[in-house]
Amino acid sequence: MNPPVNRRNWLQQTGCGFGLLAGDWMALREAQGSDAKSGLNGGIHHRAKVKRVIQLFMNGGVSQMDTFDYKPELEKRHGQPFKPDSDEKVEGVTSVPGNLMKSPFPFKQHGQCGRWVSSVFPNLAKRVDDMAFLMSVASKTNVHGPASYMMNTGFALPGFPALGAWLSFGLGRLGDNLPTFVVLPDARGLPYNQKGNFSAGFLPSQHQGTILQAGASPPIHDLFPSEKEAAFQKGSVEALALLQKINREHAAHRSGDSRLEARLDNYLLAARMQQHAPEALDLTREPAAIQKAYGLDNPVTADFGKRCLLARRLVERGVRFVQVWSGAGGASNNWDNHTDIIKELPAIASQVDQPAAALLADLKQRGLLDDTLLMWNTEFGRHPFTQGATGRDHNMGTSVAWLAGAGIKHGSSFGESDPWAWRAAEGKLFSYDIHATLLYLMGIDHEKLTVRNGGADRRLTDVHGKVVQQILA
Amino acid sequence: MNWISLCLTLLCGSDPDWRAYSPLVRHEAPSAAVGNPIDAFIQKSLIRKKLKPSPKASKEVLLRRLTFDLTGLPPTPEELKEFLADPAHAAFEKQVDRLLNSPRHGERMARLWMDAVHFAETHGHDQDRIRPNAWRYRDYLIQSFNSDLPYSRFIEEQIAVDVLYPAESNKLPALGFLAAGPWDESSLRDIREDSIDRDMGRYLDRDDMLTTVMGTFQGLTIQCARCHDHKFDPVTQEEYYNLQAVFSGMGRGEKEYNADPAVGRRRQALQTYLTMIEKGDPGVAADLQSPALTRELLAWEQSQVFVPVIWKAVTPTALVSEAGSILVKKGDAILASGPRPEKDTYTITFETPAAITAVRLQLLADPALPKGGPGRQDNGNLHLTEFSLGGKVAGSAAENFSLKPPSSDYDQPGWTVLHAVDGNPATAWGIYPQVGKDHEAVFPIKNPPTAGTKREWTIKLAQLHGSGHLIGQFRISVTEAINPVVSPLPPEVQTALAAPREKRSRQEWDKIGRHYLKLKTQKELDTLPPMEKVYAGVADFSPDGSHRPVDKPRQVFFLKRGDIRKPGKAAEPASLGLTKDIPASFHLNNNSTDAGRRSALARWLAAKDNPLTWRVMANRLWHFHFNKGFIATCNDLGLMGGQPSHPELLDWLAVRIRDSGSLKDLHRLIVTSAAYQQTSDHHPGNAAIDPDNRFLWRANRQRLDAEQVRDAILLASGRLDSRMGGASDMQFILRPGKHVTPMADYEKFLWDRPAGHRRSVYRFQFRTLPDPLVECLDGVDGSQPTPVRNQSFTPLQALALWNDDFILAHARAIADASSLPANEFLNDACVRLWGRKPTSQEAALFTSLAGSLPRPQLVRVLCNCNQFLFID
Repeated sequence: MNPPVNRRNWLQQTGCGFGLLAGDWMALREAQGSDAKSGLNGGIHHRAKVKRVIQLFMNGGVSQMDTFDYKPELEKRHGQPFKPDSDEKVEGVTSVPGNLMKSPFPFKQHGQCGRWVSSVFPNLAKRVDDMAFLMSVASKTNVHGPASYMMNTGFALPGFPALGAWLSFGLGRLGDNLPTFVVLPDARGLPYNQKGNFSAGFLPSQHQGTILQAGASPPIHDLFPSEKEAAFQKGSVEALALLQKINREHAAHRSGDSRLEARLDNYLLAARMQQHAPEALDLTREPAAIQKAYGLDNPVTADFGKRCLLARRLVERGVRFVQVWSGAGGASNNWDNHTDIIKELPAIASQVDQPAAALLADLKQRGLLDDTLLMWNTEFGRHPFTQGATGRDHNMGTSVAWLAGAGIKHGSSFGESDPWAWRAAEGKLFSYDIHATLLYLMGIDHEKLTVRNGGADRRLTDVHGKVVQQILA
Repeated sequence: MNWISLCLTLLCGSDPDWRAYSPLVRHEAPSAAVGNPIDAFIQKSLIRKKLKPSPKASKEVLLRRLTFDLTGLPPTPEELKEFLADPAHAAFEKQVDRLLNSPRHGERMARLWMDAVHFAETHGHDQDRIRPNAWRYRDYLIQSFNSDLPYSRFIEEQIAVDVLYPAESNKLPALGFLAAGPWDESSLRDIREDSIDRDMGRYLDRDDMLTTVMGTFQGLTIQCARCHDHKFDPVTQEEYYNLQAVFSGMGRGEKEYNADPAVGRRRQALQTYLTMIEKGDPGVAADLQSPALTRELLAWEQSQVFVPVIWKAVTPTALVSEAGSILVKKGDAILASGPRPEKDTYTITFETPAAITAVRLQLLADPALPKGGPGRQDNGNLHLTEFSLGGKVAGSAAENFSLKPPSSDYDQPGWTVLHAVDGNPATAWGIYPQVGKDHEAVFPIKNPPTAGTKREWTIKLAQLHGSGHLIGQFRISVTEAINPVVSPLPPEVQTALAAPREKRSRQEWDKIGRHYLKLKTQKELDTLPPMEKVYAGVADFSPDGSHRPVDKPRQVFFLKRGDIRKPGKAAEPASLGLTKDIPASFHLNNNSTDAGRRSALARWLAAKDNPLTWRVMANRLWHFHFNKGFIATCNDLGLMGGQPSHPELLDWLAVRIRDSGSLKDLHRLIVTSAAYQQTSDHHPGNAAIDPDNRFLWRANRQRLDAEQVRDAILLASGRLDSRMGGASDMQFILRPGKHVTPMADYEKFLWDRPAGHRRSVYRFQFRTLPDPLVECLDGVDGSQPTPVRNQSFTPLQALALWNDDFILAHARAIADASSLPANEFLNDACVRLWGRKPTSQEAALFTSLAGSLPRPQLVRVLCNCNQFLFID
């Protein structure tokens, strides 16, 4: 997987970085996953079908009945007060419930599977036969912060490890050149909960998400000394060589302490990251046709497109879990369409549609889908009734997610919302079930991947979670 | 032995009947020939396990270990020199006393405590807003540890100092403890108050409080009983909700307090006196008739100048609200009612031919308004953003009349009446907290019209602040007087003063006297130092939008399976029935007050009979020094925490804290033990028996934590600013964010700035945007209680230590500060950073490899060496 290393080249390239000596290189131990067993294809409890994951997270709460969850009933009852046939109170978390609103966007059936998709996703619509849809994903809260925590960590509270952190903890690294769990936030800013969504929680900090900013210099914090510090732009290779010798001398007098060895290794691994990260981030190495396919030539799609393309490059280079965010926190420029679905939803959907479809096609074309999973989801759905004139408020009742790639029964779907897409009607799922399914595909029994913390054996799925077998191949 | 006990014996290899909540047993120290009782216990278990203790560490190692442990800092070269040269038998003990008495000790302890209680200075969650006054809790901790506040008192203060020690108002910041954790602003302030998510937010907020309280003081994972009875410890779900009820009368928010109790008492006395004057309390009568007052009144009266101004209330011809308030005449006043819009502009039209020189706006209190008005906001306030006046003569164009600076009888601090004519929509006049009474403002016209021409006048009262800060009742009057201003005297006092002195009735004298006493009292109040604020958990915090205090505690319900949609019976404030020595009941019912509830819990936690309290703290202190408690999970001494390594010693130390109350005493005892002073060397034979060093056959080699790394480098650079206390230093560039959470740019911060030079405990701690270097070194972000930090070793940590601006800027400073020649420079830098000179092998490596390295690079290497990063 790793490109061959031309030692002279990278020593030149990393003049202000660590540099590596050939002997060090050989001495570097190839780290494997903590419990990975041979014969399980990288899994730890059973054979894995998926080795790596790209998650596209739609921040703000995608309106399901305006995208993938077609509801003729809403067309019939458009403009009427909402009276569900249950005694559950109808409430908006930030507003007074208005009347029912049909989707302002036309729906059509697509693909052999006949999936209904609205006009906001023309490109994704062409790929529905590669996807499996979860049509009734509920949350336990109507508030962004807790719901984002829940969808990322399985708990509606801060301080728990994110999905990517659990994967890093459970499965270890795939390669040594890049971090295991990489986060690509929207260029406009971090999502709700800021970095809380990528936290390692109570797991050791090596499992936390590393933010990689394609446009920034350096792209990873502290990858190189900052230009402010002129005194450190030269002589770093020699300095590192000295450091390693001194640390080895220190360790020689202190047997039985593996931490000292780990520290020696870490500087070598850090050097590899310095060498490989800039190359991985260099999208100009991609052919023009690929850049165009991801929408890099169009200001609307360029940001999300770059990050989708980067995600592909990262998983190719051994990153285990890449999370690509659409939308920042706050009231606008995301999927939180409180004011006007007609204007706000197409604006954000058009940023994602082409790049996401291109990523799926590209992964498939390259054969990466054979052991990679692509997942698209959001923290909760929206209400079938209006907020104000044409907006929709948060709805924990149901939302849509889709998965594609290794181990997935393509063109399938599971679950169903009620006639208004207000509540999950059949096959109600929570984050637990999505996470359990994903861990299952990666060779992990979600009930067995636990860590003792705060008096309990904590797991990603809390005390819940059921693998959604119906969408598995 | 039943099978559970059997399993436990197999699992833990010790007494399965040991429970953290069993009564404390005062064990006799085993009679070994050693001075420190701790060593008697340790040796007993070493002998039993056939383990050999390690020899005493070198003086260099000992001083470095001790100084980092007790103060979080390395020894300075001078301190090391002095210790090495001190031949006294008790040289080490002398150092222990010096360090325990150092103010740096409290700073270290506060940092460790803040980890355990997940203190930070932002709300956390999605809307991670800054808490500007949270730091006062940190200062409280530092002072408490430095003064060796008795531990029981330390507990009581953090739960209920306002109730138990009301005279010590300076201690109020202790309640920062209850508010230390995250707070979900979206759920608890911004979403609809009647939503189920708001209700759930409250349960989760209290859950965080009691998780912190019970984890910190009882080592119990009470949160495990939210959805079902605790699976491992005898805590029922019912008890969990009873504990929730203890906190249902309070909330997190800003709280004002008197930093000086004497000032607080005076303020209280003056305020009481003011109320007495206003209510016509007979207690004031004696003062009114005293000869001293008569003399003062005479002087005062002579200093007053009276210009009677005649005001005429206008008769409106039209009243218009822009946003839908209903404006109706009520006598010569105008009342606003109906729906309360967020913002509004009232337009009042009237006609007069008079040569008016000023307009008076009287704001009228009314019991029907919130808090008696005169505003319509829930707190009785209003905000007049802009006052404008237009006049129109029939047949000609309307004309705007410019105004001279207005005057008012009262301005809310920061909300002066001048704001009502400044043309700035972001500023306004307000009257809070003087609600429930009338107020007035006079707006003089710059160029008054001439008399005789009838005009249609239009007054616009723009009230654009939002949240319903609208005028509830008011009266508009006009005058033709020259230079009219707001009279400082109420009408009845004006009338009384108008009567000739010799003809005044007793009543008239009393009116004047009351008014004078009021002014005098108010004047003294105004000269008192202002109150301080702290972010704390209290009943009467300052309201923040719809996050408001409650008059009496909210009802808490027993939630079936923790589900907000399945409330069962009402919970009653009480604690846990873990042990019969200390009952769960507080004898409080659901009508009890917040004060009653919190103080009952404080006493329960601090009770001598509560065995958990003392065991938990003894274990925690042991952890601070050995990096591993007798039970490794310091906030969980329950069954899941496992069995203690030395149960008898744990109890012995717990009894000692309980009886002495002194934490410093325990620190001293621990660090002067032989167990503490061993080398950390590996021993294959011992390691084969006890690989984890559970029985302390050697010292544990410790990696410096994030704060120790930073503070040690700052100290070595000579830049460490030892100033204590005060607001935290933001070591990032703060910019407004997209929404509520600001942006914190750590990369742009310049470490040569003084704000980067104080100890890390004074670093501003941002929950969802943590400092990258601190994060890489396993520092905490305050999301969850972290009684024990992780210790990780990662490539990103190597990158951070090697490249982070903090390390580089200070490595450069260390290099630049020295004018020593090369060989002495290396020795000096090593002593500063490693606590010793390099060994001959190390020196040889430096000689052969470091020759051409610039000094900053050399220091960078020293800061990345394991000699620096680990304490042997």
